[in-house]
Amino acid sequence: MEHVAAGEARRAAELPMDNDAFAGFYERSARPLWAYLARVSGDAALADDLMQESYVRFLCAARPLDGEVAGRRYLFRIATNLMKDHWRRPAAASIEEIPEDLFAAVADSGQYDSQAVLGPALKAMRSRDRQLLWLAYAEGYSHREIAEITGLASASIRLLLFRARRKIAKLLREPAVAERRLP
Amino acid sequence: MTLRACAQEKEVAALVLRGQWPAACPADLRAHVESCRSCGDLVAVMQAFQGARMESSRAAQPGSPGVLWWRAQLRRRRAAVERIGKPILGAQIFALSITLVLAAGFVVSQARHGLAWLSWFSQLSQSPTFRLDSLWPSALAMPEWGGMLLVSGLVALALLGGLAVYFKAEKQ
Repeated sequence: MEHVAAGEARRAAELPMDNDAFAGFYERSARPLWAYLARVSGDAALADDLMQESYVRFLCAARPLDGEVAGRRYLFRIATNLMKDHWRRPAAASIEEIPEDLFAAVADSGQYDSQAVLGPALKAMRSRDRQLLWLAYAEGYSHREIAEITGLASASIRLLLFRARRKIAKLLREPAVAERRLP
Repeated sequence: MTLRACAQEKEVAALVLRGQWPAACPADLRAHVESCRSCGDLVAVMQAFQGARMESSRAAQPGSPGVLWWRAQLRRRRAAVERIGKPILGAQIFALSITLVLAAGFVVSQARHGLAWLSWFSQLSQSPTFRLDSLWPSALAMPEWGGMLLVSGLVALALLGGLAVYFKAEKQ
């Protein structure tokens, strides 16, 4: 009985992707995913953790993979949900509680010129707006794809994105406004 | 706030995504972007996000995919074992509860009858048909047969022990 159970467990534990296929997928998707998590959360260490957990959950998911593009979208969806879960947790886990120097620390490294302008502007935005903006303008996802990733209604994405874009464009043009809005 | 998207937005976005803005942009479109607030916002935001994406992608230090693959496999295997083990555990709990109910029923029924069966033992020991000597094989009385039986018993015990160790090792 136990042998049968162990055999079934072994078969059920087979991943939908073999090691080599996953390595290729990881190579192509890990950097953009980390960039998304790091910029939207403003925390590089958190981005590392969430990225690892996203891949493990992606591999553990029983759903069939309909090609690389769909797989990548699914991966972003997992990461988005993990980020939301993280923000829902109380106290220091909230994005609103993350100290500003976490955003500024990246800007200080000199590697991130655009971060110097975008960082404070992003920080002044709501977490949902940061996700929407990154998915639309950094990853180039369509409104339908963003709706699938974030779980928001497709019809509301256009309006939310329009408002968020107008707001961040203003903050980018007038960095002093963004600085003032920082908590 | 009115939601007015410019008709040129798609074209402008495509140019920025391809990295052709502003170098490969037609002059009339560039003039439009300068005068259109919506397209101006789009260019400013897309350029900032595209630049940030490139910089962050360069800064990313992704770990080994093999470690994640093995972690996922372990987690999935553990989940599968738990999923398969659940009905077995349920059956064991069910069997135990049935046994307990039967045992409780038996104890209650015997208590009601005043434990009459205990007197059966005392009658049995006094019965002339029950003799301990008769259960003892007569071969044991002979010393040469006794040794042979002892050796064969030890061999059987060793065989059974070996089998038990083998099955235990295979299970592990």
